[in-house]
Amino acid sequence: MVGLDVIRTDRTLVFYEKQENLSKLWDILAVYAWFDKEVSYCQGMSDLCSPMIILLDDEADAFWCFERMMKRLRKNFRATGNSVGVEAQLSNLASITQVIDPKLHQHLETLGGGNYVFAFRMLMVMFRREFSFADSLYLWEMMWSLEYDPELFFLYEEDPDLTAENSGRAKVKSIRQYGKYERENMRSGGKDAEAPLPISVFLVASVLKDKSAKLTEARGLDEVVKILNNITGNLDARKACSSAMKLHKKYLKKAANTNR
Amino acid sequence: MGSSTATQSSSSYDLSFKILLIGDSGVGKSSLLLSFISNAVDDITPTIGVDFKIKTLTVGGKRLKLTIWDTAGQEKFRTLTSSYFRGAQGIILVYDVTRRDTFTNLSDVWAKEVELYCTNEDCVKMLVGNKVDRESERAVSREEGVALAKELGSLFLECSAKTRANVEQCFEELTLKIMEVPSLLEEGSTSGKKNILIQKQQQQQTTQSLSSCCS
Repeated sequence: MVGLDVIRTDRTLVFYEKQENLSKLWDILAVYAWFDKEVSYCQGMSDLCSPMIILLDDEADAFWCFERMMKRLRKNFRATGNSVGVEAQLSNLASITQVIDPKLHQHLETLGGGNYVFAFRMLMVMFRREFSFADSLYLWEMMWSLEYDPELFFLYEEDPDLTAENSGRAKVKSIRQYGKYERENMRSGGKDAEAPLPISVFLVASVLKDKSAKLTEARGLDEVVKILNNITGNLDARKACSSAMKLHKKYLKKAANTNR
Repeated sequence: MGSSTATQSSSSYDLSFKILLIGDSGVGKSSLLLSFISNAVDDITPTIGVDFKIKTLTVGGKRLKLTIWDTAGQEKFRTLTSSYFRGAQGIILVYDVTRRDTFTNLSDVWAKEVELYCTNEDCVKMLVGNKVDRESERAVSREEGVALAKELGSLFLECSAKTRANVEQCFEELTLKIMEVPSLLEEGSTSGKKNILIQKQQQQQTTQSLSSCCS
């Protein structure tokens, strides 16, 4: 299985014309499958592993980076009984869309797409097929730092002159918040049964929201898939992140209101 | 404006059918589809989840729109891809003639999957052995293929997505067979009629919105 996918991952990149680099990809995926027996190998993992090998010369370094990444994502690939972990994320996506865009959610349900399987790939390979190689790495970095501290992205987005002026203050503020968020996460994670939703789900929700007008006119699931396929290569990582953040805030607000 | 030209081009068909490609990972489902659609087979990345392509063609004097769904082959994804069996008029079961396990899995796994999830009792099945261009590596004989097809009550062809040998025949034979089944023909033509009706409504809407924005 690993061998089958290694020879068809990122083959448009010159990097993988070298046998040596293909072997690295094979090694890392095979070792991981042995290392994490519960997940083993699952299609989509080669898409996630490939950038690590390109970025890190040393095979061992690349493996451990991939392993850390899988710590975040392995749940998606784990099969339990008759379902794959990512299905939980898809149902999260459904409830988010239901809150922020009820009309779209209703329409998708009528088309028989209430399970949101059409968004499966985006979540599974973290938008690698939707963004260019460089853009998807940029997006990954942004996502991870965002998950650590939700305000960080807006700090980056501020006027460069402004941030230069207040750089001292902003720095302190960001470090403090960064710790706070982590601590908060650990606190609430211990008590609440629900783990915080990863930003990737909101990214998909933002893509759907962005295409909402077109999607609500779709007459079948084939058109839904077609509309979403057309975004391939046309997504702006930065924009996608900022609108995901907005949706996240909106969602939390609405969810808090309904709980009251 | 781009959307209106798109609807016009897709309205030029009499019948519309849904076809599904299933089989083990790496047997060449996506390659088969790409070979049929665009005459070219590039290096293809593994399919994650589902994808589909549309092809319009003329078979038996009728203009047809085929919506061909391509699915991921890995076992873990089976429950996800199974939801796409619904409403399919044709199912293509693909194996790799150079890998025996992909052939045995068709009867052990995939045929059962069809029985379980296919909502259409009259649905036409077709068994396809891919990669016949690699004759020297062949691990499943043509006779075995014919025998399994008989057992499953399906059509049979051997083809090569790479050389395009038998690729078009594969889809044509399947659609011809679908058109012989009255219930499937009925399904195909109602979705065709519905499509034309909706387009008329949409055209009216666009002319209305155009006139309103001009006034």
